Amino acid sequence: MRERKTISARRPAAAPGRKTTGRPKHDYSKELMELVVEAANSRVLPEFLRGFAERAAEMLDAEWAGVGEIVGSRVEIYSRTTDFPATEKEREWLAQGLRRRRPGLEVLPLMRTGQHIAFYPIYASDAELMGTLCMVRKAVGFSQAEEKLLAALASHAALSMEKVRRFSQLERSKKQWVEDIDAISDYIAVHDHAWKIVRTNRSLATELGIPPAALVGEPISSLRHIAETGSALPCPFCRDTREAREEYIATSAGRTFLVSTSRTRGVTEEESRTIHVLKDITDRREAERRYRELFDSIQEGLFFATPEGQFLDVNDALVRMLGYESAEELLRADVSAHLYPTQAAKARLVSAIAERGALRNYEETLRKKDGGLLHTMQNISAVRDALGHVVQIRGLMLDVTEQKMFQSQLQRERDFNQKILNTTQSMILVLDTAGLISYANRRCYEAGYRKDELIGHRLVEWVESSHQKDFDAALQTTAHGQQVDNLELRARRADGSLGHFSISLSPMRDEANQVNNVVVVMTDITDAALLQAKLAHAEKMATIGRLVSGVAHEVNNPLAAILGFTDLLLENPEMPIAAREDLQIILQETQRTKEIVQDLLSFARQRPTQKEPVNVNAVLRQTIKLRSYDFSSHGVEVSEDFEANLSPTLGDAQQLQQVFLNILNNAYDAIQESGNHGRIRIRTRRAEDDIEVAFMDNGTGVVDPERIFDPFFTTKQAGKGTGLGLSICYGIVRAHGGEILCWNNEGESGSTFVVRLPAATETALAAAVKEAGR
Amino acid sequence: MTATTMPRQATAILVIEDEPSVSAFVRAALERRGYKVVQASSGAAGLQQLEERTFAGVISDIRMPGSINGADVHEWIRKNRPQMASRIILISGDTANSETQKLLASSPTPCLEKPFRVQKLILMVEKTFGKP
Repeated sequence: MRERKTISARRPAAAPGRKTTGRPKHDYSKELMELVVEAANSRVLPEFLRGFAERAAEMLDAEWAGVGEIVGSRVEIYSRTTDFPATEKEREWLAQGLRRRRPGLEVLPLMRTGQHIAFYPIYASDAELMGTLCMVRKAVGFSQAEEKLLAALASHAALSMEKVRRFSQLERSKKQWVEDIDAISDYIAVHDHAWKIVRTNRSLATELGIPPAALVGEPISSLRHIAETGSALPCPFCRDTREAREEYIATSAGRTFLVSTSRTRGVTEEESRTIHVLKDITDRREAERRYRELFDSIQEGLFFATPEGQFLDVNDALVRMLGYESAEELLRADVSAHLYPTQAAKARLVSAIAERGALRNYEETLRKKDGGLLHTMQNISAVRDALGHVVQIRGLMLDVTEQKMFQSQLQRERDFNQKILNTTQSMILVLDTAGLISYANRRCYEAGYRKDELIGHRLVEWVESSHQKDFDAALQTTAHGQQVDNLELRARRADGSLGHFSISLSPMRDEANQVNNVVVVMTDITDAALLQAKLAHAEKMATIGRLVSGVAHEVNNPLAAILGFTDLLLENPEMPIAAREDLQIILQETQRTKEIVQDLLSFARQRPTQKEPVNVNAVLRQTIKLRSYDFSSHGVEVSEDFEANLSPTLGDAQQLQQVFLNILNNAYDAIQESGNHGRIRIRTRRAEDDIEVAFMDNGTGVVDPERIFDPFFTTKQAGKGTGLGLSICYGIVRAHGGEILCWNNEGESGSTFVVRLPAATETALAAAVKEAGR
Repeated sequence: MTATTMPRQATAILVIEDEPSVSAFVRAALERRGYKVVQASSGAAGLQQLEERTFAGVISDIRMPGSINGADVHEWIRKNRPQMASRIILISGDTANSETQKLLASSPTPCLEKPFRVQKLILMVEKTFGKP
């Protein structure tokens, strides 16, 4: 690099000459006009800026001029001459100066040469600093005119730089756009009005196996093999050239395209362009076709509907199900009002979907076109938008009318059977062939049995031990297929008491006609059996009573004669002693016969002789006192369990005492016979309308409780009793309107006698008191 | 009927009893104590006697065969011979009979229950009809 004192540009030789001629040095406006033309024609910025710097140096008599263009953080310096800046340090200093924003002209001394350097900023229209014009000159100051010229030059530079920048941006974006179009996988073809291809994208060229440029100028009809559209026009993808936009499906050789067409109208017909975009939707179409086929051929009804329940699309099955001619008919707006028998049902469905989003096995009754009802089962799901609002509902519908009818018929039958089972007064149980209970109807539970003591247990456990063999035999018979009717046996009730039951067993058969279960119908006939027994007994006793009455009368006549004549004979003083003794025996035996007959008559007597209020507890205490000596001396323990404030009964206290005494005597005799440590428990209590007196002893018990009250029925040794004692008791109690019962104690020795007497009502008491006071 | 025969005849007792042995015993017992006895073997025969003459008293069985029984005799006397109503003794072999009980309960007429002792008969006769 050679040393120079000053920066002296290789300036045209004419320049110093101009100074000397005295002519105006420059015609600034003309030169500026030339600059504008240069700027308009320039496409390449560096070349223009170099020329511009040179012209500026000339115009302002500078030794050197350059334009610094700011590109990002760099500064590009354009100048025709290269002697400035001379060093790297100088370049760095210059670059900093060029990058600095300044409002206008700035002149700085250039130390090395003693020259000056002037900077003038070049601002873009948006006030961006695009660059700085700078020049090196001897002259220190810039005249006002020179400064104006600098400003004009700077604005020219700005215009040109902006224009060139814009132009290069356009070039870049155009290139980018082509790349973008080429990146699209859809086929794009553009043709002009003459049906010649103007452009294609890379995808289409690749498909055809040629470079994109090779297609330009070819007729568009050459693309006909890509997709056959059936168009008669020279372009296979155009249908109606008057339309600005077209969209349709085109297929060919197993491929399906969505063809979207746009037309741009140029100023002239030559400039009009038609752009076809072919989207390969083969896969989508196939999926759609399969879906549609399924949608149409499936036997279940399918539908799409608005959130309000209005159908949007339905399949054939649904149309058939609802009895419509076609889907179109079903999709009509007024159908949903007909479809739901009640608007409430529809509202319920709509709100259920909105709330839960999906409904599983939702049962709904719909109305068919002909008005008939259709029972459906639906699975519905809601489609929601981004805000969570239901925008569509989709569902599957099954016709369950037949099942529903069958089900309801089944239900009706089941209800009916259940009702029969539940309302019958008999206990009905189902046993397996081993006798285990598998079912018990409601009556069983009403009778007090608990489920856990029935189900899974053997029914025979409830049967009294002496009858269990009979029951098992009946069960066996039934298990072999034979019915057993009215088996009467005793069984335990829920409260532990024994009841009299009538039991019928029927075999129940499975499909193979094998007996697999036994139906047991049990009826508690205790009351009926008791009543029957009581009636029979009462009738028997009445018959005996009539017989006894007749016999007594007939016996009394001869007896009266025997007794009378015996008395008359004994009155005769001439009667010898031996005969008198014999007559005494006749008299004695006649008396005994008389007593027997009188006892018989007491039994047969219909009414008590007296009717007055009787305190049963008091009569009992008196009676016990009569025998207390005997009881205590023989170790017989008597316990009294008397109900306080027991109502009185109306009757004859003497006769009732006779009854109680008879029963006590009987108990005492039974205890003596058994040799047990005797115990007699006497209990009185109010039992509904009766006063009940129970005598429980632990003696030998009664041989035949059924016959104990029959006259002359006795188990005692001959001479110990006439066998009429309890018959008389029976007669007396009956005459009092009561009853007397006897049974052997369950599970322990001894027997129980119960006397029930009607409790006197208030009115009966008042009447009796009045009667007595008369 | 004349006034002169009345006192003599009035001493007789009418015994209405269908059972001959009982009737015989009653007659024997009464006659031994000095009573005069007229016997009737049925209710109808008894009423016939009662219409014909007067008696010191009437002893009648209650239950007798035929259309008229002791209760009917008792009823006839009460209506037709009211002065005799307190001079009746009834005899019954069957006090358990409800009709008998009804009859005895409705009137103060004494009743002898068969079989009865001679002493009891005499006591009741003396008390009801007086001594012969």
